[in-house]
Amino acid sequence: MSMSSDLAAPAAEPLLSLRAITKRFGSFAALSDVSLDIRPGEIHCILGENGAGKSTLCNLIFGVHRPDSGVMRYRDAAFQPSGPADSLALGIAMVHQHFSLVYDMTVVDNVLLGRERGVLKRGECAAQLEKLAVEYGLPLDPYARIEDLSVGERQRVEIVKCLIRDPSLFVLDEPTAVLLPDEIAALLEVCRRVASGGRAVVLVTHKLAEIKKIADRVTVLRGGKVVGGSSTPAADINGLVRAMIQGNVETLDTSAASIMGLEPVRHVSHARSANAPRIEVLQVSGLTVKDHQGVTRLDNFTLGVDRGEIVGVAGVEGNGQSELTAVLAGMMPATEGRIHLGEIELTARSPKEITAAGMGIVPEDRHAVGCVAAMSLAENIYLNRLEEFTRFGFLKRGLLESKAGEMMQRFDVRARGPGVIFSSLSGGNQQKAVLAREITLPNLVCLVAAQPTRGLDVGAVAAVYSQIRAACERGVAILLVSSELDELLTVADRIVVLYRGRIMGSCIADPARRAEIGAMMAGQAQ
Amino acid sequence: MTVIEQPGPLLKRFAARPALLGSLLAVAFAALVGLVLIASIGVSVPDAISAFVDGTVGSPYSIAASINRSLAFALVGFGFILANRANLTNVGGEGQIAVGGIAATAVALYGHVSGLPFGLSFLLPMLAAVVVGAAWGALAAVMKVKAGTNEVISTLLLSFIGVWLLYWCVQSPALLRKPMTTSATLPESLEIPDATKLPLLSGDYSFPLHIGLPLTVVIAVVVAVLLSKTVFGLRLRAVGLNPVAANRAGISYARTVVFALASAGALGGLAGALMLLGEQYTLKDGFSSGYGFDGLVAGLLARGSVTGVIAAALLFGFMRSGGINMEMVAAVPTALVVVIQGLIVITLAGATLFIEKWERP
Repeated sequence: MSMSSDLAAPAAEPLLSLRAITKRFGSFAALSDVSLDIRPGEIHCILGENGAGKSTLCNLIFGVHRPDSGVMRYRDAAFQPSGPADSLALGIAMVHQHFSLVYDMTVVDNVLLGRERGVLKRGECAAQLEKLAVEYGLPLDPYARIEDLSVGERQRVEIVKCLIRDPSLFVLDEPTAVLLPDEIAALLEVCRRVASGGRAVVLVTHKLAEIKKIADRVTVLRGGKVVGGSSTPAADINGLVRAMIQGNVETLDTSAASIMGLEPVRHVSHARSANAPRIEVLQVSGLTVKDHQGVTRLDNFTLGVDRGEIVGVAGVEGNGQSELTAVLAGMMPATEGRIHLGEIELTARSPKEITAAGMGIVPEDRHAVGCVAAMSLAENIYLNRLEEFTRFGFLKRGLLESKAGEMMQRFDVRARGPGVIFSSLSGGNQQKAVLAREITLPNLVCLVAAQPTRGLDVGAVAAVYSQIRAACERGVAILLVSSELDELLTVADRIVVLYRGRIMGSCIADPARRAEIGAMMAGQAQ
Repeated sequence: MTVIEQPGPLLKRFAARPALLGSLLAVAFAALVGLVLIASIGVSVPDAISAFVDGTVGSPYSIAASINRSLAFALVGFGFILANRANLTNVGGEGQIAVGGIAATAVALYGHVSGLPFGLSFLLPMLAAVVVGAAWGALAAVMKVKAGTNEVISTLLLSFIGVWLLYWCVQSPALLRKPMTTSATLPESLEIPDATKLPLLSGDYSFPLHIGLPLTVVIAVVVAVLLSKTVFGLRLRAVGLNPVAANRAGISYARTVVFALASAGALGGLAGALMLLGEQYTLKDGFSSGYGFDGLVAGLLARGSVTGVIAAALLFGFMRSGGINMEMVAAVPTALVVVIQGLIVITLAGATLFIEKWERP
């Protein structure tokens, strides 16, 4: 364990070397004084929390951004790409965090896009795809349309788009975020095969399990600086985590550690006693949602959540979770079905009535639904009950801000003050504020939280879950929608799996049944 | 953030407020270009300037007339920034003025109000104008909420309808046209009874400021307080900035949009009432004569600030008075005044952009 990442004896000349790279956006230094080497044949993981500068680093290598200072060398020559085209021409390929595919087109056309001039040689390309499929274990139907493929298959297209160029350096920016457990394993296997051919792989991630499994070397970024590294990552894992989160591993919240992959996933039980009488709080029956094109997005969804119970909804994203939470939040009409909260019928009620009935909603899209980013933190914390701060219509701003200050204390929302603009907060603090608003509803009986930890760092994940568990212990019924299976296995009591809008099955949240649940997420009925 | 005002030479104080300095420079630049244009069409520049000054501040009458003009711009401008707080763009001031004028004329002439006490003789026509203007604005809001019609389109088209409705009213003897005694009878309404005209503050036509001024000041305060000090103002902002999140937080989008556009319409209608009851006294074709569009520009330039609307409205009011006098006395085409006004708008907008870049590099 050392502060420098290239500590091992220089076994080979680096393929790519960065020296003292600094990149600023305005006054914010996304990267400062970063140096690292990428060697042929290695899988080099870049580890760091959100905002650590990982994506900026990838974008520099891929030529999307240019460094403000510092030197990049590639194959022992000065490397100053003026755009992705330069990097591609030099044999650098990148899989971005978000897909860049044309959904109406076939696999072959997407692969050919931007590569060919004149006549398209589809047959030739399809043959190449066949070859890659055998070589790397990436089976794909060359003539399938992207929109008919699963998320995992779409990512395979992104990967073959890169591999068909036969790159020397292969950069993957958080590629596993959208994948099923089996697909993650397959992807890591592809990385291994690519590297074994003498190529270098840069894998950006914040999941320690992946690092333990695959990394040859690791560089840890925090706040835009290299804060650690290792060439024996599996053995140094605790040190890497400590560097990444600048904290002590031992004091980490158990659930957060487990979600991070630091500890084997284990169920964190809460105070719910097995003998406690079951009182069903949230009842959803036969909920069906068709979109405006008549496609069924949610199909006959029936579920009850008890007082003091956490029910997890697992599934790969896009299998009806968004529709489920939107309908429960009153943001989307259901085609069929009913929703009850205790005695109160909430089918087709307005968001205002749903809130008034005691249902808190943490929406999956924090920016579009959860907040008004251009308003202040205090205004956002109390957005759904501003009437508490009014006298003859006038806003009692002093009271609003002092109350919001108390909420900031209680929920550990870190900001300069309650009057700051919401968008200036980090993602974790924004989420804590949204959670604070919903969880402090005076008559809260049920909380629906969708992807509540997405994009959050470890500290924030722990804070979010300690609040959710505290609410649960007070008797609130909790419906937790997440695409992170480990998260659900850790905190939920019971898990139902959504696949193409239907419940594939349900079981208690037992880490031992991980494989079973993974199979249900992939659409195999048990 | 508090701005610390430091005493010092004038220039220094201006330098501390680049927005004000920039605005003044922009106006000065546009005026300079205007003078060059005036010279280039062969009109004596000193003559034009003296005619402009006479028309704006040359006499108590011209000052009062300029301020009376500004009132209409200010009211439409207030309506614009109010609706704009909810991210709505009301370009329907022209039509709202027209329907307000029609309503005020109709009630003043045929509402049997002239004998009423307590000022009801002019308050009722004003109220009618406000109600009809609000309905005109609300119509666009309902279209937006029910069918998703863009309010820019609907308020603009409703403007044409309002303006032509007014034309119809003054052309048709069955509506508001005065009785046709000869074939030379002009297509306009009768003059409204004296009791329905707005009382003058001085009581004397040589200084015709009317009670519309204090009323507009009150409205300015109400709008400023509503936007910055009330929960309702906050909700308008929330809907404007993120209607989805506002809806999730229980703030009704439909109600907010209807209120915002109806208020803008009401203020436009009131502007029409002031123009008719305080200045023109008879309704005729061309009644609104671009006041709605100029008021909209005043609102745009103000960028959400009530004082900004007042400043822009005064600027436009005096420009218009000066322009009319330049045309009458110095034979400068009014078109040129419109050109200069357009130049001011463009340079002001450009200056704002420049200043913002300068302040936040």
